[in-house]
Order: sequence, then C-alpha cells, then structure tokens
Amino acid sequence: MKITKEKFGQSFDALAADYQIIAPVSDAGGVNYKAVKSFSEVKQDYLNSKLPPKSFLFPQHEKLLSYKKEGKDVTIKNELKVGKSILFGVRPCDAKAMLLLDKVFKNDEYTDPYYYERRDNSVIIGLACNKISPTCFCSSMSISPASSEGSDIFLIDLGDSYQVEVITEKGKALMAGLEELVELSAEEQALVDTIKSAQTASKVDVSTITAKLDKMFDSPFWDTLHEKCLSCNACSFACPTCHCFDISEEVHKNEGSRVRTWDACMAPLFTLHGSGHNPRDKKKARWRQRMMHKFNYFVHNNGDIACVGCGRCIKSCPVNLDIRQVIDGVNNVELVVD
Amino acid sequence: MIMGECQVTTETKTFEPKIAAFLCNWCSYAGADLAGVGRFQYPATIRTIRVPCSGRINPLYILKAMANGADGVLISGCHPGDCHYMSGNYVARRKFALIDSLLKYVGLEEGRVSFSWVSAAEGVRFAEVVKGVTERVTALGPNNGVFKVQDGGGTNE
Amino acid sequence: MVYLKYKTGGEQMSSIVDDIRATARQLLTDGKVDVVIGYEKGSLPLKATPCFVRSPQDIDKLIWDETCENNLAAFSTLTEGKKAIIAKGCDSRALVVLLQENQLVRDDLYIIGVSCQGVINKKKIEAETGEILEASIADGKVTVKGMVCDKEYTFTEVKDASCQTCRYPNPVLEDIHIGGSIDVPQQAAVFADVAEMENKTAGERQAYFQEQMSKCIRCYACRNACPLCYCKECFVDCNSPKWLTGGVDQAENLFFQAGRVLHLAGRCVECGACSRACPQDVDIRALNRKMSKDVFTMYKHESGISMDSNPALNEYSADDPEAFLVKE
Repeated sequence: MKITKEKFGQSFDALAADYQIIAPVSDAGGVNYKAVKSFSEVKQDYLNSKLPPKSFLFPQHEKLLSYKKEGKDVTIKNELKVGKSILFGVRPCDAKAMLLLDKVFKNDEYTDPYYYERRDNSVIIGLACNKISPTCFCSSMSISPASSEGSDIFLIDLGDSYQVEVITEKGKALMAGLEELVELSAEEQALVDTIKSAQTASKVDVSTITAKLDKMFDSPFWDTLHEKCLSCNACSFACPTCHCFDISEEVHKNEGSRVRTWDACMAPLFTLHGSGHNPRDKKKARWRQRMMHKFNYFVHNNGDIACVGCGRCIKSCPVNLDIRQVIDGVNNVELVVD
Repeated sequence: MIMGECQVTTETKTFEPKIAAFLCNWCSYAGADLAGVGRFQYPATIRTIRVPCSGRINPLYILKAMANGADGVLISGCHPGDCHYMSGNYVARRKFALIDSLLKYVGLEEGRVSFSWVSAAEGVRFAEVVKGVTERVTALGPNNGVFKVQDGGGTNE
Repeated sequence: MVYLKYKTGGEQMSSIVDDIRATARQLLTDGKVDVVIGYEKGSLPLKATPCFVRSPQDIDKLIWDETCENNLAAFSTLTEGKKAIIAKGCDSRALVVLLQENQLVRDDLYIIGVSCQGVINKKKIEAETGEILEASIADGKVTVKGMVCDKEYTFTEVKDASCQTCRYPNPVLEDIHIGGSIDVPQQAAVFADVAEMENKTAGERQAYFQEQMSKCIRCYACRNACPLCYCKECFVDCNSPKWLTGGVDQAENLFFQAGRVLHLAGRCVECGACSRACPQDVDIRALNRKMSKDVFTMYKHESGISMDSNPALNEYSADDPEAFLVKE
C-alpha cells in the first residue's frame, strides 16, 4: 500500500499539532535530526544524518535534576520533561540501534526513566535507503538498507509517494488517521522489490568475531592497532549505539544540578578513578575495550553486536582508522594455541 | 531569549552591571585601596579579585567570568616598567592585546572587557577607570550571551 | 603564488615515494630509528592514513601524495623510542615548536623532509559531488566519481585553505630532504581571509561564530589532531577549577575554541589539521588565522620557522602596542 507524499505531508502537518516531530533537516552542520513543524522542512534526498538520532532519546548533555538549599530545606526538582513525539525518517541502521539502546537503558535490572519515558512516548517512522553510501555495511550486521526492524511504521520512498508498512501496534495507532492508502502499481512494486533486495557494497564478516575476541584479550594484535588513533571522541559521538555517559554535579553556592553528559571510551579521562589510578590509561587498552564492548561484551550481555554498520565512525575519523579494517584484522589474527 | 531578559531588566529597574575586576596585588589593588582610604566615590559595580600580578591572569579567567554571567570584566596591573616582578606585566601585555583582539573578532562588544594600568598612587584614577568602565558596560546592557552559558546548571546567580 | 619546480603527480611523485621508502629502509636496517612514521593508503578515496613502520617488510606501504593531510608531528610526542617522521613544511614547523618547548629530544628524532604542494580537502569536493566513490590524481587534475555527480578539478581548486595561504611548503628543519623543493616568492604574509572577516560588523561576526559553534559536538578531534595541543590535562578536562560543564551549548563551545586558540597564540603553525579533523566542519581556522595575523602584525613573529626565534609570548618589548587599553 502507498500514500502520496502530498497526502502524507498533510497528515504530517496535522500531527505536528499534537506531537513533537523530529525529522532530518539540512542545516549548517549538514543533515541532522531537528524538531520540525511542517513536512516542507524535511530534507528529502539524504543518505543518512551526520549525527545519529540517538541524541533525541539520550541527549549529549541533560539536566537530570536540580536542587536548591534554603536554610535547612532542600528542594529537588525533577527535570524530566516528556511529550509525545514522532521520529521521522529514521534509517534502518539507526532504528536497529535504538533496539540496542533499549537493552542498555531498559533491562531486567534497571530502567532509565529519562531514556525510557522518551522512548515510550515516541513513534519511529523508518525510511528505507534508496541510495547506499560506500561506507555503509549494514548488510553485514543482520539488517539491510530496507529492513523495518525497530520502526513502528516503515516507509519506502517511491518518488512522489511512500510505500507504507505498519509494523507495530504503536504504528497502527498513529496510522489510524491516515486514510487513502492505495495499491502499488506493478512498476512501483518492482521498485520496492529492488530497494528491498539491495545490499551494501561494503561487507565485513562478523560471524565468528565474538568467539574469536573471547580468546584475544592478550593478543599482540592490539599492540599496534591503536597507534594512529588520536583519542578523540568523534567515532563515539557519531555512533548510534555508543551509550556511555558521565554524571556530574554543577554546583553554585546553595543550588545546583545533576547533569548527564556523553562520555567516550577513547578519552583517557573516561576510566580515571578518583584515586588517580587509571585502568585503561593506554590507547591500546582503550581500543581493545572499544572492540570488545561492541563485538564481545555486548553480545554476551545482550545477545547482539553493538554495531549496526552505519559507517559514521568511518566518515568522522580524522585519521581514517576504519572499523571494517579492524574487524578484518581481528578475523585474520592467528590464535596461538597453548 | 537573551534579548527578552535584557528588556525585563531594563524596564523593571535600572541595570546595575556586575563587573569582575582582576587587580594586581602590588599596584591596582593598592590603587583601589587608596581610592577607598581617600573616600573617592565610584560605582559599587566591581567584584574585586586580587591576583599576585597581571601576568598571573589566565585568559580563561576572563572567559569564565563571562560564562558565569559577569556583565563586564576589568583587568588592571602595574604600569609597564613598574612590575613588582620586573616583567610580569610586559608578558601580560602581549597576552592582553591578543585576547582583546580575539574577543572583538568573535563578536564581543567593545567595552565589555577592559584593560588598564593603575598604580598604587592613582586612587583617584582608579575611581575614574571604574566609573568609565561601569558607564560603558551599563550602556551595553547585560551580558549578551556570547560566552554566557545558558544552561550550565545552577550558575545563574 | 607558489611556483613549482616539479609537476604534481607523475614521475616526480613516484620517485619521491621510492626515495622515502629507501630512506626508511636504510634507517630501520641501520637501527637508527625504531619506527618510521609516514603515510599509507587509506580505506577511503583521497584519504591517506598515518602509518607506523617498524620492520622492513612493511616499508612498501609508505606512500606520498596530495592526500597525506594529517600532521604527523602530532604523533611525535605520543610515540616512544627513536622515530623518523615524514614532515611537510607545516609538520616541520610543528616539530620546531615542540623542540623549542622541550617536548621532543632532537637526538631521538629523524626528520625526513618533503616539500609539499598542498593537500586535498575532501570536504570541499564532497560538498559538490556527494560522497566520493572513486577518485584519481594525475597531472595536477583530481578526477572524482561521486554519489551526486562526477567532476574533474584542478588541484588548486581543491587544495585545503591552509595550503592556499602556506608560506613554508619546504621543511624548515630536516635531516634529509627528499624530492625537489618549491620556490616561494619573498613576500610578507597575506591575511586577506582575516581582513575580510574583520571588515564585517561585530553582529555579523558574532552570528557567524555562533553558527559555527552550534555545529561543534566537542569531540576534541581538533585538539587531538593538533601537534601543539599536548597538555597532559587540557583545561576542558580539568575539574578543579572546572572551566566547562561539558555541555554543548554554543557559548561553551566558543569558550573551548577561544580558550584553545589563546593557548596556541604565537605557537600555531597553521597546518590546518584541526579544521580538517573536524567531523562537523567547524571553521576553527578562522580563529587560528586571526591569532596568527595579530601575532604577526603586533610582534612580527611566525611560529616554528626557526629554532632560534623565541615564541612570541615568551618575549616582550618595552614598546609593544597598547591599543587594547581602556580609553579614559
């Protein structure tokens, strides 16, 4: 079934009255997700956003609570503000990444209200990739440029209309107001099939990487891998699945707030203890941690690889330390059998 | 938003700027002291921060003062040639010239950050400098947010 | 502005690569150095990547062309042991500053100097062609197959902004020179780009920098790519005093960038590594260039051009300009 973009745009604009709509727009920093009021603001032809939409669910810098002390009274204010939202135009890799973030922020042991309140109150409208960037490798990460996993509603751009798939109940509820879905023509069906069968040109093999990494903690592979890394946070901040953060207090006299800020394992400060001891003070340990976390620990803890193949880290790395080559490197390591 | 704040302040009461004044221990601080002892009147707008020498002033002090909401910054040390440590203010002078130029370049208004040399004997002049700086900052209005952190968390005094 | 003794690409370039490899092989086999820091072909078109060669069998990885854009001096302080570094003009200037500031031991450093005709700024190309699928460089032409369109550029068109204004394409300090050198006409530094910005109104400049700073995500790629940002603890990471909250508010971003530029006053060698490293394309160069202009016009100083000239802020003169003083 499909809907014309014109009709879709009208519904979109109507929904903007009740929902905060986050959609890709073209701004000074390239294509990024921003709040929009009208469908006309939405960037149509884009590969993927420069920064992932995760910052909407998990902002880079967020005030969790604020407090004030007056005499003996302390007032604490919860700073969580949540409204209904729609995330529009989320690419399959980023939609999958949100499922991975869910495993971190809402699991059997712990639910992060700041993340989850926003997550529960938002509907994700996914959008298939008609064009595939040379740095994309999602096909190797058990998704594809047109997989609907993680989306509530999934769209495929057919030029002047969208093919619509309703995936979840949440999506169904949102779609209830959308009438006038029409059948696809044979030509459009063929286009949909082409888009759905597309694969990324770039591929990696992660079939055995988790088991391999189990035995690689002490491998000499890590000794040289890290050398050109500058220890900046570009890869982590551009990653849709990276989720490490730091909580700090911003205090001024008798009032202050508790803030949560993105942190990144590439920075030496990341693991610095209060005592001055730093268990990962060398780049080598930090790079091993990055790979282990994404391809080993996360799999053991959550059953999935914490990489979706969006390729943003490859594009943003100032020294071209390409994660695809690192994966290949791990695959090529010959394990020494004791 | 900044404009909004600015209007509220000016409409409801006369704007009294808060100015962070970094004064060197040996000359300008003594100059301020002399102004006090001599009862020379000047506006109560400055918050004095005594530093050992103008050479001790880290450029970040100036930025941080503004990040925390200071409406103006005044920096004052010994006249060149009179430094207690011989060359502290000469070294500082190069830094100050560059800071001043850079701040204007990024769009900070002229007069928001001021530099001067005031000796221990210039109590009257210290009062005059503070008067002048206060007038200029008052005319500019509150910190316009080029460096003021909007949501640093609790730093809105 | 810069007259070339040899053509871009072609035979000259490949003989430079051969000479670099031969030198590296000699240094490693003689045991003069433990590692040669150079460039190898990257995984993306028009992108070289830093390469650390420790054994002779890796020597053939080394390349040299217009895509070698990283400033390898940034690795000189991070890499232990005796090292040889392939240095362009700007890289060698950075090494000079590092040596002046006692961050390097001269005897542990072997500088393989190569004159540089400038490096390619990929972002400039990608703004037009979309993501680059394939590219080749030959005879001063850069041919690009992009996702949006295919295009052919002359090398000058896609040269990085820092290289457009470069006055030191030849290494200023080196142990061996490879390839020809580049004639640079004797003339004072030109700061047309800074002047253009200065001529705008304060409001326009403020708006420009606010827009630029709104892009910054504080990943610190600029700081870490900079050969001269070697502080063990950067002021942004310091928590006593806590200069910054870690927020990405544009005022804080400007605080960071302005603070960094002030720390680089009279030290920045204008290699442009910070701007090229920035994944968000923030115009960091605009700030650094302004600082360079001020240092040059006020104190007649250019950093890192000679081991004998003191850094501008380590010196003073009784008649330094005082235009910044408050008008009374």
